[in-house]
Amino acid sequence: MPQNPYLNVLVTAALTVVFIVASSYGLGYIARFIAKLSGASPKKQENTFAGYFFAAPWIVGFLIFVVVPLGFSLYWSFTNYRIASGEPTTWVGIQNYQTILFEDDGFRASLINTLYLTVIGLPLQIGVALFLAVLLNQKMQGERVFRMAFYLPVILGFNTAVLLCWRLMLNTGTGIINQIIRSLSTAFPPFNWLNRAVIYIQEVSAAFFLGLNTGKYNLLLKVLEAGFPAENRVPLWVQSPLWTKMSVVLLMVWGCGAMMLIFLAGLNNIPKELHEAAEVDGATPWQRFWKISFPLLTPYIFYNLVVGMIGALQIFEPIFVLYRDNQPIVSSTISMVYYLWQKSFSHFEIGYGSAISWIVLVIILIVTVIQFRLQDRWVTYDIY
Amino acid sequence: MKKYFPMIKSIVLYTVLTGATVLMSFPLFWMISSSLKTVEETNSPGVVWIPQNPTLEAYTAIFQNQDFLRSYFNSVFYVTLALAGTLISIAAVAYAFSRVDWPGRNVVFFLMLSTMMIPAQALIVPQYVFFNKLDWIGTFNPLIIPGYFAGGAAMIFLLRQSMSQIPKELDESAFVDGVNHIQIWWEIILPLVKAPMATIATFLFVGLWNSLLTPLMYLQTVDLYTLPVYVSTLYNINQTVQPWPTIMTAAVLTTAPLIVVFFFAQRYILESVVVSGLKG
Repeated sequence: MPQNPYLNVLVTAALTVVFIVASSYGLGYIARFIAKLSGASPKKQENTFAGYFFAAPWIVGFLIFVVVPLGFSLYWSFTNYRIASGEPTTWVGIQNYQTILFEDDGFRASLINTLYLTVIGLPLQIGVALFLAVLLNQKMQGERVFRMAFYLPVILGFNTAVLLCWRLMLNTGTGIINQIIRSLSTAFPPFNWLNRAVIYIQEVSAAFFLGLNTGKYNLLLKVLEAGFPAENRVPLWVQSPLWTKMSVVLLMVWGCGAMMLIFLAGLNNIPKELHEAAEVDGATPWQRFWKISFPLLTPYIFYNLVVGMIGALQIFEPIFVLYRDNQPIVSSTISMVYYLWQKSFSHFEIGYGSAISWIVLVIILIVTVIQFRLQDRWVTYDIY
Repeated sequence: MKKYFPMIKSIVLYTVLTGATVLMSFPLFWMISSSLKTVEETNSPGVVWIPQNPTLEAYTAIFQNQDFLRSYFNSVFYVTLALAGTLISIAAVAYAFSRVDWPGRNVVFFLMLSTMMIPAQALIVPQYVFFNKLDWIGTFNPLIIPGYFAGGAAMIFLLRQSMSQIPKELDESAFVDGVNHIQIWWEIILPLVKAPMATIATFLFVGLWNSLLTPLMYLQTVDLYTLPVYVSTLYNINQTVQPWPTIMTAAVLTTAPLIVVFFFAQRYILESVVVSGLKG
């Protein structure tokens, strides 16, 4: 292999293409041979060849990059396998799983943080997305421009560069967001009250969730004791463990454009006649939204909820960029995937990391199944 | 009063929407504005909306920063290489699932859809071991090669939907003329799905360009860093004063390709997000 990294990957890519084409022909010929043995017509044989020939890249990739790794990681999850340690790998049974589920503080923290994002972050995100979708659904000039503006954050979203810009804006002392909050607070007393009320509610709830994490509620008591925030208080976005999760929620709300598009599609699918009939009957827009649009949108809300929750388990970039170097507060915002990365690649404990991967996988499957089961209970597919 | 109601309504509507647009695009504005400031201005306790004397100092400096330029080249290089292979293999697999009738198709298709539930991150640990065995750590290979095996079930699904809508008669008449499957795929079907291909290319581009986790795991030395990894090293907790104009200049240059691509592809994207999102 050439030493030059660019040449190296070009050669590897070329060899990969050769390998894929060869395996496509191989799989195609085998399939055609089997079809021939089973007495298929020449046309059918030709189709069998073509089908396997074209699908081969996925089939081969599925075996190499999904089935085999999953199999190995399942096996390793029951061992104490470590890369770069001379020790022999031994079978430890379910010990890894036991440790993770019952003794591992980091894993527990990641679970609770996901719970926070699901209970507090997702409703905010879905609410804003729905609000924007309803506004955009009014069919007016320039709708496309607004749509683009609201979707752009999804594209930029988790790019390191953009996250660093957020870090600049969220700076407690000199960041623009707190600057604006400060000047609005001085200018309008009602805003000051609102700001302090929001800070209070947020800190109490965050302290409660941190309490769930550690099992000790000292912080919650401290926040309650401190009482209603002082007049000059501002949010401590990337500085305090009480605020780290809220910063992530802020990023989620900023990137609500994808959910908004889903809601727009949902609103588009609502028959016009329903609204027209209700209008004739004298229903107010407010009533029409809650009695017609909202029930018909529940499948879309449900869809966004599932996707959002699975997404919350996988948040990585914001935590890495905003908090990685601030070790004491990382655990207050860590996601399951971040924890998996941290655990697997700091000490290369492959066995332990594999067990975490399997737990994440099973959790995602359970969430999907449960939510699909529950959807029958509260999702309205039609109201005729 | 009643006759003014629609007008008031649309004024309120536009005001709210414009306000939301300003809020949503504010980070971009702030990024550009900060890149033109001096270090003192970005760290000052007072608000500097637009720098008094915009300076391009950070830009001239970053164009002389070899590490930054190299990481930019690395990103362009790896994204191009990965995109080409991924796109072609996805097009091939989507063809098999939509235009060819073969035994086992439904089973394989169902398997493919079910992989959408497997989070990519659940595979990072065993894949790391696998690439380690191949001696691929510290090369671009792990970021590029997996995509060549039609990486991305959602994308295959999206393209399959578009290909299924092309009338069957088109390739049947070609068969009569003695044209084979590879020619039909490349010369007849692919030209007809240019728009969905552009959409998929955009999604793949955005994903690859923003990707942080895998480059972080596999590219161990500065000379291989892609943009997201390199840019993340610009912020250094050990410094008391962060070089924000430099960081924001790097940020502007990193996001520029994303914005350009989004601008040209937005029409397709905004429509297909809904299709793939709902039916996937």
